[in-house]
Amino acid sequence: MGASKGQRLSGMQKQVLSLYRGFLRAARSKPTEDRRQIESVVSAEFRRNSKQVDRKNFLYIEYLLRRGKKQLDQLKNPDTMGISSLNVSPSQNNKAKT
Amino acid sequence: MAVRAAVLRHIRVPVQTLAVTASKPQSQWSSLRLFSSHDDHLTKEEVIDRVLDVVKSFPKVDPSKVTPDVHFQNDLGLDSLDNVEIVMALEEEFKLEIPDKEADKIDSCNLAIEYIYNHPLAG
Repeated sequence: MGASKGQRLSGMQKQVLSLYRGFLRAARSKPTEDRRQIESVVSAEFRRNSKQVDRKNFLYIEYLLRRGKKQLDQLKNPDTMGISSLNVSPSQNNKAKT
Repeated sequence: MAVRAAVLRHIRVPVQTLAVTASKPQSQWSSLRLFSSHDDHLTKEEVIDRVLDVVKSFPKVDPSKVTPDVHFQNDLGLDSLDNVEIVMALEEEFKLEIPDKEADKIDSCNLAIEYIYNHPLAG
């Protein structure tokens, strides 16, 4: 989708940024070490998708948003320490793409 | 009612007691004032310094480029995800929670400084 450079944000971009903010907020409530790990995984995932996903592929972006929201809900659970259990392997990713 | 009237007629309330209770609301008021954020609100200079420090310490930013007038994405080469991270870092620095709608608008040092300076709870 390409992280944007200073122009007006579309509704979908706002949703993505809001989700990203949600993850970073949820990470704050975890112990420092888990927090750093969550932040680096989440940041890498968002950046990878921002480069790989075609910004016009709305259906796929909507799918990623829905999936991300579910993962965020899991992360918000106080019992969830890390994010490894939420990771989606690349193979699953490709399956979803086709 | 008769008993009440009889009792009331024989009760004398000492004047000094009244004076003490009258002064009470005032002392309550002065202790409440301590919690008012405007008594020790951040100065503009302090807000500017701390905002610039947060932006300079962002890993992808060249600290020598940071001035109060820089735009995060146009001048510092950041993207919208970095922008989110910087605004979140500012939230932590000033102990605020900035709602999405406001956070999306903060895309430069100047806007960040204005928003934080005008926020009554910035600490």
